[in-house]
Amino acid sequence: MQETVIDAHNLSKIYDEKTIPVYALNKVHLHISRGEFTAIKGPSGSGKTTLLNMIGGLDIPSEGFVEINGTNITKLKGNELIDFRLNNIGFVFQSYNLIPVLTAKENIEFIMLLQKRPKKEMEQRVQELLKEIGLEDKINKRPRELSGGQQQRVAVARALAPKPQFILADEPTANLDSVSAENLLNIMLKLNQEENMTFVFSTHDQRVINRARRVITLEDGKIVADTAPTAVIHEQTEIK
Amino acid sequence: MLTKIASRNIWRSKKRSLTIITAVSIGLWAGIFMMAFYNGMIEQRVNTAITSELSHIQLHHPEFRKEYEIKYYLPKGRKTLEIIDKDSKIKAASGRIIIKGMIASASGSSGITINGVMPAEEQKLTNLKGKIIKGNYFNPQKTNEIILSEKLRKKLKLNLNKKTILTFQDKEGNLASAAFRITALYKTTNTPYDDSNVFVKITDIDSLAGIPNAINEIAVLLQSNKLLDESQTHLKQKFPGTEIKNWREIAPELGLTVSVGDQMVFIFMGIILLALAFGIVNTMMMAVLERTREIGMLLALGMNKFKIFMMILLETFFLILAGCPFGIMLAFASIGITQKTGIDFSRFSDVYSSFGYSSIIYPNLTSRQFVIIMLLVLLTALFSALFPARRALQLNPAESLKK
Ligand SMILES: Nc1ncnc2c1ncn2[C@@H]1O[C@H](COP(=O)(O)OP(=O)(O)OP(=O)(O)O)[C@@H](O)[C@H]1O
Ligand SMILES: [Mg+2]
Repeated sequence: MQETVIDAHNLSKIYDEKTIPVYALNKVHLHISRGEFTAIKGPSGSGKTTLLNMIGGLDIPSEGFVEINGTNITKLKGNELIDFRLNNIGFVFQSYNLIPVLTAKENIEFIMLLQKRPKKEMEQRVQELLKEIGLEDKINKRPRELSGGQQQRVAVARALAPKPQFILADEPTANLDSVSAENLLNIMLKLNQEENMTFVFSTHDQRVINRARRVITLEDGKIVADTAPTAVIHEQTEIK
Repeated sequence: MLTKIASRNIWRSKKRSLTIITAVSIGLWAGIFMMAFYNGMIEQRVNTAITSELSHIQLHHPEFRKEYEIKYYLPKGRKTLEIIDKDSKIKAASGRIIIKGMIASASGSSGITINGVMPAEEQKLTNLKGKIIKGNYFNPQKTNEIILSEKLRKKLKLNLNKKTILTFQDKEGNLASAAFRITALYKTTNTPYDDSNVFVKITDIDSLAGIPNAINEIAVLLQSNKLLDESQTHLKQKFPGTEIKNWREIAPELGLTVSVGDQMVFIFMGIILLALAFGIVNTMMMAVLERTREIGMLLALGMNKFKIFMMILLETFFLILAGCPFGIMLAFASIGITQKTGIDFSRFSDVYSSFGYSSIIYPNLTSRQFVIIMLLVLLTALFSALFPARRALQLNPAESLKK
């Protein structure tokens, strides 16, 4: 039996409730287990961002609730919720992910610093991750001195550094060329396997979808398909 | 780390940072300099009053200043004056006969104070000679000479070397009057004073007033205003039964000028600081709005509201602190220069002199005032940092990230 990380019950998000209600999410049930590498796809406006925001505790559902590792985060308020995010959830956004005035290293350390981790552990982790993402030589560069793909890799390293319960990524490759996108995805997959890190990401990109082990399709705020198309391919890569 | 981010954020928008730094510099400069200028103005006013009108300490018969009656003179006046003159803390001292009376000419009359003075001693005390703009100081060989102000001359349509009549009550209450020849015209920076003071030799008036050889006022100029309290106490012990008052007690309105002046300075300072605060709040508010996405991202990652608040607060604070050195340097430089050269207001001096202010001002600042200004600026900084920081707290991560 796989350990459950995310459990969303009957999630709905309704905008403009008083005039014409828009169901950005419509009674969604979702179950994510530890170690998954799951893509959420769907046309623009189908509710991908809304769903990720709900399970990441960035927005409050109109109906239903979200449990992370058994904690009902929908009930958490203000700083409680912020602290929960800090200690349990990693985020990678589409762009402008990094703190512009901090270097690559400082950005990766950022969350661990907020968590007040010991300095030694932090140093070690940053070195390890910089190696994983192949940016050991860019350690002291500011975000604007890095390419878009390099910035996204730093963002992944930052999310991963404190070993959260899972990482949410909203269209992490949308602003990248295909080579950088491929590169980022390889890193994510590798970390998924090496650290058994759970990834949930939304995307439009078919090549990215092809690399996922589970694909959830959203349409008009509803899950219309939930499949595992690359399971076979993935097993083959593992054998190699 | 908050400090790191906040201090690096200062240089993100050079234009914005320069705006705030410039505003703080100018505000501080204007504030400090204005306060120093005001101090200089008041000090000048007080100094002028002391060195040309009041002196530091005055001695009278305890009843004299109530009605200015001649019968309340200082019986041992000349002896007292001799003793006082020997004190090393005293720069100059002189005896006078002060009489309230009338001056008349063919075209009118005016109520005045007749100052019967000892020409040589008075010169050391109030520099009457230096105020003369036309004519000559008292001639020891001549009698019944009078010095009056240019203003009074105009008013009474008199002329140099012409005669005028002084009328007053003598010791017994009988009307006395005598003709005096105008030997000189004077002008001070204090118009109301000019309006009501004429000078004659004490020897020309004492017998007329019925108190030959007597004095009803002794004025004392000290080496420094710092010796005021000490010398006053000393004199009181030495001459009991004599009323001994310092300039603050003699002219309470002058003391009031000082305290009102202080309040005015702080009101002006308040206006400057308010303008400054407004500018800072606006600029930093823009900075927060421009960074909505970034703040949303920080909230999403798990930076709590207190830390975000502190980050904006610190950034605003640093910016203001960065402006302080320039402002202080500018202020000290301009005070340093004008302290030596003085600021000449003679072009506007008619307006100023009608309030009794001198036309050259030497700005200066006490360290206490400087500390107060710095504290006020820091308080303003804190106050104006609060609004943008609060604005940042109202952001919602999901909405901010869509921006
Ligand atoms: N703040 C809001 N107010 C009103 N409607 C909103 C708001 N945010 C999202 N919506 C609506 O909710 C629906 C889902 O939006 P969402 O951003 O989740 O879509 P998405 O699948 O992420 O789209 P995209 O692929 O363009 O990012 C859309 O119809 C959108 O117009
Ligand atoms: Mg979206």
